[in-house]
Amino acid sequence: MKSYILTRIGLSIPMILIILTIVFFVLRVLPGNPVLAMLGPKAPPSVVKAMEHQMGLDKPILVQYVDYLKNIAKGDFGHSTVTGMPVLKELMQKFPATLELTIFSMVVAVFIGIFYGTIAAYKLGSPIDISARIYSIFVYSFPVFWFGLMLQLIFGVWLHWLPVSGESSPFMTPDPIHTGIYILDAIINGQWDVLKDSLEHLILPSLTLGIVISSIFVRMVRANVVLTLSQQFVVAARARGVKEKTVLFKHALKNALPPILTIMGLQFALLLGGAVLTEVTFSWPGIGSYLVNRIHSRDFAAIQGTIVFFAIFVAIISILVDVINAWINPRVRY
Amino acid sequence: MELLNIRNLSIEYKTKSGTVKAVEDVTFEVGEHESLGVVGESGCGKSTLGVAILRLLPPNATTKGEIIFNGKNLLSLTNEEMRRMRGKEIAMIFQDPMTSLNPIMRVRDHFFELFKVHEPSMKKEQMIKLASEALESVGTDPKRLDNYPFEFSGGMRQRVMIAIAIALKPKLLIADEPTTALDVVVQEQIMQVLKNLMKTKNMSLILITHDMGIVSELAEKVTVMYAGNLVEHGEIKEIYNEPKHPYTKMLLESIPNIKLDDMELKYIPGSPPDLKNPPKGCKYYPRCPYTKEICKTKEPKTVKLGDRKVKCHLYSGG
Ligand SMILES: Nc1ncnc2c1ncn2[C@@H]1O[C@H](COP(=O)(O)OP(=O)(O)OP(=O)(O)O)[C@@H](O)[C@H]1O
Ligand SMILES: [Mg+2]
Repeated sequence: MKSYILTRIGLSIPMILIILTIVFFVLRVLPGNPVLAMLGPKAPPSVVKAMEHQMGLDKPILVQYVDYLKNIAKGDFGHSTVTGMPVLKELMQKFPATLELTIFSMVVAVFIGIFYGTIAAYKLGSPIDISARIYSIFVYSFPVFWFGLMLQLIFGVWLHWLPVSGESSPFMTPDPIHTGIYILDAIINGQWDVLKDSLEHLILPSLTLGIVISSIFVRMVRANVVLTLSQQFVVAARARGVKEKTVLFKHALKNALPPILTIMGLQFALLLGGAVLTEVTFSWPGIGSYLVNRIHSRDFAAIQGTIVFFAIFVAIISILVDVINAWINPRVRY
Repeated sequence: MELLNIRNLSIEYKTKSGTVKAVEDVTFEVGEHESLGVVGESGCGKSTLGVAILRLLPPNATTKGEIIFNGKNLLSLTNEEMRRMRGKEIAMIFQDPMTSLNPIMRVRDHFFELFKVHEPSMKKEQMIKLASEALESVGTDPKRLDNYPFEFSGGMRQRVMIAIAIALKPKLLIADEPTTALDVVVQEQIMQVLKNLMKTKNMSLILITHDMGIVSELAEKVTVMYAGNLVEHGEIKEIYNEPKHPYTKMLLESIPNIKLDDMELKYIPGSPPDLKNPPKGCKYYPRCPYTKEICKTKEPKTVKLGDRKVKCHLYSGG
């Protein structure tokens, strides 16, 4: 198992390198001069030249590329051209909010996906199965911002049950901040009113995102559990007197998990890179909102940094997924 | 007393393209410690019959008749009562050992699951002891309890399946083509395992197969099925020496026989009928060399000739 994990990590290094390379060259090829974006179009050429020199943009492109890789290896993602702050530091500030939203949305999506999908597969062809199929097609077609807006309208504007934007109400942030994840910090501090406020702010965005994503999960889970339920070992388990619930979850679902976990893991990584539409709809101060802001202001360092950050996450999560799959499936492990 | 009485059992599958009459009005019994072979060509309803005894048919199947096991009609038990019978009183092994074990569970956990379901208070040492004994009785090293299914060959997996099936000493074992997916040498080993078990354990066996040769090795009685019907039933020796139903005769002539290697091996011409639209009258008449007019219009009754049952107009006085 250990050697498996090590090989798997080794294999992902070239993958990350390829992504870094693509990000670097694509951003250089794109129209728009970052220096001009920073200084404004009317900046005198001498100032532009000096700035380019300072940023190392006048060096040959391969030298720039090597510098870029070296810096990333050191954990230096460059400085924002808008704020002058290190990009990694800015990202780490935004990351807890995104992580919070991601985890809660994934909990919603995984819960709906696993249960609805498994039960639909078990009751193949029944009304509950048909409803699951309709659900997954219908919800999948929801535009996130429209669905978010609907929830805001119903639960925020009409019913006044829940706040419609932001991560917390004014003066309702945890103090002191430990992790940046408000819920966690509020619990650590024992600030229960803050915890309640944070949870209330979290419900609508994570429901929006979770429900939309659950449509894919329901479909994936259903299809894979239908397959495993038809296998001989399921009949054999029943012939041993195993209870239906065990047959369904321990035999059928667990064997169906590897492809499901792969999709779920990738979805998780995708969200960690910022659920742009949801974050913008709910003014959620995470990486998605950050990225949109910086795209508007042509902050190349920030954009590049966000993409690299995201790529590294995808790599880490896919390693994790593979390790979990190997742990479930002995064939891979041995 | 008989252990198992199957009375007027009929099973139909509802499908989009029509109703399949997979088993029709089948009656037979299996005594204690008796082994019964069920033979017939592919698609004649053998597996359906076997699986029906455990009440594990898919939801599109409807079952009529009675399956009386140990004095109780299995068809009138609740689902929960029936579940408790499976694996404890009646066990089953299947044709394809490669897919019958859960690929992500150790062999040990297959045993433990069985024990926990039926004897929740059993201690772990006891579970290991029972599992080891079961493996030994099928000629497998108990050390292999810790292995995963993919670490076994097909023949080894079938031994493991048998070991799991007999671990709680069921009264009846249903073996659905236990050797069909295996090569000849391994087939012979598995047959040997089953023979030993029949000698040492107090168990009845229903051995489902399409191979008359295999039945003759093990079974005391045999039920010959054709297109969902029981066409002949009786002591294996009698049927071997003097098959009555024309279909049984054909089946026996189609056994490869090394001693008679100069003789041409016969095969049964034609193919079994479509069970959605079976022929009127006797189902076998289109392939039967003795067909009379009555065979095409009237279904033969099952008649008793001594210990033997035959469903054929040649014997029904018609
Ligand atoms: N789930 C099902 N739905 C519809 N028809 C079925 C179903 N299962 C089996 N049948 C049909 O019922 C008939 C009997 O099938 P069964 O599997 O019992 O035959 P068998 O004698 O075991 O054949 P084999 O030797 O190929 O295993 C066949 O015509 C088959 O097509
Ligand atoms: Mg069969």
